[in-house]
Amino acid sequence: MIRFSRVSKAFRDPLLVDVDLDIESGAIWGLIGPGAGGKSVLLKIAAGLMRPDAGRVEIAGRDITGDDETALAQTRERIGMLFQNNALFDFMTVLDNVAFPLRRRGVADDEAEARAEKRLRAVGLAGSEHKMPSELSGGMQKRVGLARASVADPEVVIYDEPTAGLDPVTTSKIYDLLREDHEASKPTTIVVSSDVDALLSFAPRVALLEGGVLRYDGDAAAIAESDDAVVRQFVTGSLEGPL
Amino acid sequence: MIARVGDVVIGVTREVGGIGVLMLQVLRALLPWPSMDARELWRNLYRMGVKSLPIILATAFFSGAILVVQSGIFVRRFGAEGLLGWATGYSTFREIGPILIALMFSGRVGSNNTAELGTMTITEQIDGLRALAIDPIRYLIVPRVTAMMVMLFALTVFGDFVAILGGALLGQVVVGVDTSVFWHSLFSNLGTWDLVHGLVKSVFFGLVISLTSCYFGISVRGGAVGVGRAVNASVVASAIGIMVTDCLLTLLMK
Repeated sequence: MIRFSRVSKAFRDPLLVDVDLDIESGAIWGLIGPGAGGKSVLLKIAAGLMRPDAGRVEIAGRDITGDDETALAQTRERIGMLFQNNALFDFMTVLDNVAFPLRRRGVADDEAEARAEKRLRAVGLAGSEHKMPSELSGGMQKRVGLARASVADPEVVIYDEPTAGLDPVTTSKIYDLLREDHEASKPTTIVVSSDVDALLSFAPRVALLEGGVLRYDGDAAAIAESDDAVVRQFVTGSLEGPL
Repeated sequence: MIARVGDVVIGVTREVGGIGVLMLQVLRALLPWPSMDARELWRNLYRMGVKSLPIILATAFFSGAILVVQSGIFVRRFGAEGLLGWATGYSTFREIGPILIALMFSGRVGSNNTAELGTMTITEQIDGLRALAIDPIRYLIVPRVTAMMVMLFALTVFGDFVAILGGALLGQVVVGVDTSVFWHSLFSNLGTWDLVHGLVKSVFFGLVISLTSCYFGISVRGGAVGVGRAVNASVVASAIGIMVTDCLLTLLMK
């Protein structure tokens, strides 16, 4: 279980305001909302990359809010994350990028490479092992990022915009990969995406953040019937409404 | 006017403080026992040191040569052929060699380092490391600081040698001072301390360049434009840092 209790964060303007959210273990959660609504900030707080100004964050029953960098690093070892820009290390080959989390956890070089190759085959990138990230297309880079996020079998996987800038066919392929990954090891999966339709068909439960405020938290199927006009307008894409 | 001066003072204090904090983080990562990623260290030693060798040697050769050609006028006028080797060695070992090589190193390696770390920062690669439970200071910064200090020292050793060689060659060809006279003047008037003096400086210059370039790299804000600004600030700050450090070390080691 990942639990956010009255989590707030601000830089100049408020980014998150008293967010309460419970994400059950093994669940798939979608996080949607207008730009600059606080989605990426919430993900970074969940991954221990950013500290909230107020409130508590619990992962598997343990409060990580006051943890020092060493304790946070231990928490991060249980989390895999795909960044919006993929964050592939551009001085490493594709294979080294995917094997990197394993090597850092003390897995022997041969075994790390074998597991990375297997993971790359699973995401359809066999033959690209020795290329540099800059030699790959956007969709291929995204798949390398997916492979790296999940290669160490984390308990929690966080995907920040896994399909941003990709065509509809590649988007479908990416969601198929996410589904296969989840079925294989049942990690708690959190996905942020601007592609609302694709995300609503992938995640059974969703939350909507707007202006740092949690506007919706519930079934994906029922979101269009929300009482909140902001939620309804965002999901339907209507030009009429408060947004 | 007062507000502008105040802004500049606050800005400089913030940057110097940031570099100081980074130095403490590097020291903490090195204690109690230095440990760093061997692959990263070797990669940086090679690209920062070995790949800089041609440009450093060319710069050193010509600086030694120019030094001799410029002083040749006075050597002839005062009949001071016997002092040419000493003058070239003294100025090269103590000042010209370490300073020129450090400035070249800063321009080539320091600016590249800032641009690379800056790009890694804006493309979330630094956060990517942290997400993989890897300390970016220990993984990225410590090997770079170590590599720059080691390689600037090594490059200064080679550079000093080549600068003297250039001086001796041009001394014979242009000024007409026989190389045997040049070498005799060099070896009989200079001590080990003259060489060590400059080499000690090179280690500190390496520290200044590495910390400055890493600091400006990892504190980049504002996309590609921010990277450009950071590289510019890094080169300027490194040059000033080298001069200030040189002045302090010269006073301490006189």
